[in-house]
Amino acid sequence: MSNKNKKEAAKQSQLHEVWRRLKKNRLAIFGLCVLLLIILLALTADIISPYPYDYQDYSAAKEFPSFKHLFGTDNYGRDILSRVIYGARISLQIGFISLSTGALAGCILGAIAGYFGGAFDTVIMRFTDILMSIPKTILAIAIATTLGPGLTNAMIAVSISSIPNFARVVRASTLTVKDQEFVEAAVSIGAGNFRIIFRHIFPNILAPIIVQATLGVGTAIILAASLSFLGLGIEPPTPEWGAMLSAARAFIRDEWYMVMFPGLAIMLTVLGLNLFGDGLRDALDPKLKT
Amino acid sequence: MNDKSNTLLFVRDLTIYYITDDGVVKAVNGISFDLERGETLGLVGETGAGKTTAALGLMRLIPDPPGKIISGEIVVNGKNILQATKHELHGYRGKEVSMIFQDPMTALNPILTVGDQIAEVIRLHEKMSKEQAYKKASDMLELVGIPSERMSEYPHQFSGGMKQRVVIAIALACNPQLLIADEPTTALDVTIQAQVLALMRELRQKYDTSMIMITHDLGVVTEICDKVAIMYAGQIVESGNLEDIYENTKHPYTKGLFGSLPSLSSKVNRLSPIHGLMPDPANLPDGCAFHPRCPNKMPECETRCSVNTEIESGHFVRCLLYE
Repeated sequence: MSNKNKKEAAKQSQLHEVWRRLKKNRLAIFGLCVLLLIILLALTADIISPYPYDYQDYSAAKEFPSFKHLFGTDNYGRDILSRVIYGARISLQIGFISLSTGALAGCILGAIAGYFGGAFDTVIMRFTDILMSIPKTILAIAIATTLGPGLTNAMIAVSISSIPNFARVVRASTLTVKDQEFVEAAVSIGAGNFRIIFRHIFPNILAPIIVQATLGVGTAIILAASLSFLGLGIEPPTPEWGAMLSAARAFIRDEWYMVMFPGLAIMLTVLGLNLFGDGLRDALDPKLKT
Repeated sequence: MNDKSNTLLFVRDLTIYYITDDGVVKAVNGISFDLERGETLGLVGETGAGKTTAALGLMRLIPDPPGKIISGEIVVNGKNILQATKHELHGYRGKEVSMIFQDPMTALNPILTVGDQIAEVIRLHEKMSKEQAYKKASDMLELVGIPSERMSEYPHQFSGGMKQRVVIAIALACNPQLLIADEPTTALDVTIQAQVLALMRELRQKYDTSMIMITHDLGVVTEICDKVAIMYAGQIVESGNLEDIYENTKHPYTKGLFGSLPSLSSKVNRLSPIHGLMPDPANLPDGCAFHPRCPNKMPECETRCSVNTEIESGHFVRCLLYE
């Protein structure tokens, strides 16, 4: 048992080291705080949002921000603050779920391409090259149009368009790790390919994957918002930030707050993710430090 | 067949080439040797003589492409390794034959604890629960002289000599019958070398493991080996027991190797090195590969390579002088 505790301690100390470096980076901590705040809002949306997100009060339509409606109301008289808070749920959900499925697929493809090389490598990497040659937004629009609107389809579109980045990062890192002697040593003790990839190579290339993932969530959220903005993503009345922007677009001249608050929410979330991701990259790789 | 019963490893005409765009690198050219149970063979040669390639060949670890085992036979315990399936190889590596790598700094996975890494090989080959495997791993650590409390530490927390001990513990964890040590002491400094060699000698006796010791250090060979094979340009040019090689040196190349060693007993002003360089294995000379550097060169050497000649029982020389 004491062994186990010690093991835990050793593992913690590594995390501790990363945390210590991360803590020094004020911007990254700011990003993390913003992110945590938004996650907290999303989790407690039912409790803290002043109105239900679909509660319509036509008598109070298009109201300017006041104490009653902190962010004002939209053209149906719905409280924008509540919708922004509920929107965090949808956006984070899309961001994290679609990114993790995309990351999983990308990692597996990249690891196969990098580890086995040869024909696998050529086929997978040329395919990702093709995907990468199409701008992400256009690719996602094309997929979303084919599949039709809806939350799941938007997530599929976003996750497919995030595959190539991961495949590339993982392939490149796999290539550098697989030729190291400890991999050869693992083969020499009789470990199979599957074991070598997942136990010996993957943990060694986790840092770039984590960084890519943190930065990727931001992109995924923007992409999902763009899809909704174009009417290809979430359908009303679900409060998605992109869809809210799209609906409020017509009123931008007189009721600017209807556009500003969802836009601000997207900006803050993505900013938080990017700042945190950048800081995490520096913290995970002390060699990069300048 | 009777005289093979005690033979653990039987290698015949093993030929390994690396086929690259720039030509065929003939790394190993028809080497043959036997190894009995509990015996230690020293494989000696310069850098690039094909020692490591031969060892990787025995493990079927030649990177393919570009490496290719062209011909030959490797029989371990009566099984031909060159015909083994992928699945059989997984059972073979680490269990029957294991390998100690040259550089302990890179042979351990930096992000797994040493205990994890020793337990991994045990769990791969023996049906044990996690606890049993970790128990055995800690026993192995103690065996190589590292306190078992350090099981949960990472490789970077160990010194070079201790890492090599961990590598040895991994290699011996499943009691392999054959241990291939690829220059296990080259990356270590001399005092640590002596400790590691003593440890290997002790463990070999304890488990009756056969060993192939790859080295370019003739001193290491006398410490630990029973038999020696001298390799030059992918061939074994002379082989025999320690006495045959050290006291009754025959092949001009082996003589040259000893001539290049400083000696404490006789005072000489200059060492007598072997002139020239090892030939490019992608472009070996005709005839005997050693003839461009050989002090005893005969005209025939340029056209014909000698066969392996047994000049005394067990002492083989591949040189036209003794054919």
